[in-house]
Amino acid sequence: MFRIFNAIATCIDRFTHYSGRIVAWLTLAVMGLTCSVVVMRYYLQTGSIALQESVNYLHASVFMLAIAYTLQRGGHVRVDIFYRNLSRTGQAWIDTLGGLLFLLPLCGVMLWLNWDYVVNSWTVKEVSSESSGLPWVYLLKTLMLIMPVTLLLQGIAETIKNISIIVANSTADNSPTDTRG
Amino acid sequence: MEYLPLLMFVAICLVLLLGYPVAFSLAGTSLAFALIGLATGHFDAAFLHALPNRIYGTMGNNSLVAVPLFVLMGVMLEKSRIAEDLLQSMSRAFGNVRGGLGLSVVAVGMLLAASTGIVGATVVTMGLMSLPSMLKQGYSPALATGTICATGTLGQIIPPSIALVLLGDILSSAYSQAQLNLGIFTPKTVSIGDLFLGAIIPGLVLVLLYCGYLVLYTRWKPDAAPLAEDGHQAIAVGEVVRSLVPPMVLILAVLGSILAGIATPTEAAGVGAMGATLLALLRNQLTLARLREVVLSTTEVSAMVFMILIGAAVFSLVFRGFGGEEMVESLFRQLPGGAFGATLVVMLVIFLLGFILDFIEITFVVVPIVGPVLLTLGVDPIWLGVMIALNLQTSFLTPPFGFALFYLRGVAPPGVLTSDIYRGVAPFVALQLLLLGMLALWPQLATWLPYTLMR
Repeated sequence: MFRIFNAIATCIDRFTHYSGRIVAWLTLAVMGLTCSVVVMRYYLQTGSIALQESVNYLHASVFMLAIAYTLQRGGHVRVDIFYRNLSRTGQAWIDTLGGLLFLLPLCGVMLWLNWDYVVNSWTVKEVSSESSGLPWVYLLKTLMLIMPVTLLLQGIAETIKNISIIVANSTADNSPTDTRG
Repeated sequence: MEYLPLLMFVAICLVLLLGYPVAFSLAGTSLAFALIGLATGHFDAAFLHALPNRIYGTMGNNSLVAVPLFVLMGVMLEKSRIAEDLLQSMSRAFGNVRGGLGLSVVAVGMLLAASTGIVGATVVTMGLMSLPSMLKQGYSPALATGTICATGTLGQIIPPSIALVLLGDILSSAYSQAQLNLGIFTPKTVSIGDLFLGAIIPGLVLVLLYCGYLVLYTRWKPDAAPLAEDGHQAIAVGEVVRSLVPPMVLILAVLGSILAGIATPTEAAGVGAMGATLLALLRNQLTLARLREVVLSTTEVSAMVFMILIGAAVFSLVFRGFGGEEMVESLFRQLPGGAFGATLVVMLVIFLLGFILDFIEITFVVVPIVGPVLLTLGVDPIWLGVMIALNLQTSFLTPPFGFALFYLRGVAPPGVLTSDIYRGVAPFVALQLLLLGMLALWPQLATWLPYTLMR
């Protein structure tokens, strides 16, 4: 039974890991395009709204697609005044409860709230409000569904991993072969 | 029921102490309260439906693109050892000056910390980079750790810090809201660049105060900061110039172009990040593996910041749904002392919150609530921003809960006692309070430069 869950967690982990490592390179594109905006404006005296918007598209893609990766890497900041002194099992308990009570419901609520918003955008194939802007606002808004889905998946994987830490440690404590103490 | 928003705020603070990531705790607890409110009929779900628009607004906010770009620049300078080289050659150049190493740490911290905004990260970096060499040279643990903690938090108020980018963005919308409240329909604006300008003089005064303290203290107690044993070995001028000039030019160019109004903070950040990358490339420090490290850590910081922004959006919508804004406003109106009293209370609350929350969370959670009210009372937005930044920096340094102290404790060798860190940092806290007092008395310290240049 546990083996199935662990296999699911490993599978999600792998997906999140590679997706994070891929989108991270887009930060260099954000940098390069921002520099070309500057060059165009100050040396060629032209501005391109499409270029400006593509900077925002890439930037939004980086952070929206990397939120799950950051969860996996433990990169979301904590108030760790007490957390850091807890045992590994104690930390796993906090993370399990936090995952079940906060993270997973939040992903559900975001999916529910964002759904109509994104669907409306797709039905009209929404374009930029600027006339020379990019015509892919509906694609950009789709990130608002991808983010909660990837975060939900990674949240499930984290919860599975934390539960197996709790289970592993509790069986180790009760194990009759453990004669220490 | 009137105090439900306050109750929610307290509940969130308690939940945060459990240690689950801030962004999710913030949003999750708020949603739980929203659920209770829905069940008891005190909350209208319509408020939550503004969330998609808030998230999309964040995605499309060009000013906030400066965040990953400044982080990229800072991480690049750090990982390609440019900052470390700078510290080494500066401290060797100052080898014959008493307290020279301490002064070098302050200078490097000022330049490096400028582009990062997360207290913990900067303190850890500065600690790993300079604590071992300070202790080896015989600096007293108290003096060494105090200097490093103070310097590590200095980056919060020296532009271009991402803390000021975020604070500037929030304040600019708070300012336009405040003016609408006052019935001004052609509102003045305040930008991130204005806040940068406002922070420059207070930031430099603070650096001077730090340096003055170091010079006086090491003269008074020479044993606390012995000269380097190889201090008499002359260092080639060329070497100092080579390691000092490029990063200095880079940071001055970034700042200068923003301050001169040539570039937006985002554009300057992009060019700065590119400059740092080229610098790393020129020094043969940029392998593919290191570049990957840089982009990954930039991405993580960026996702972390924006997830907190989303979590804080959930919180603020629920808070507003419970009538929290009206509650805060009427609370402030009842306070004695008008704008001054209200500002004082906000500063105290922010100082205390600084013990459990980082700069980013306070900026996203507290400032949108109290900012419009204070600005409606006539407080100057730039002055308020600088005061908040300075206040938080002080909070991060204050024993026993200050963030900076915990982080430095984590990387300090066991030989350094926690009480050493407390003793070492106390004089710096006093300097911070001195500057806060000066700013309260003479707001022109913050407002003079931006308002002079704006005209």
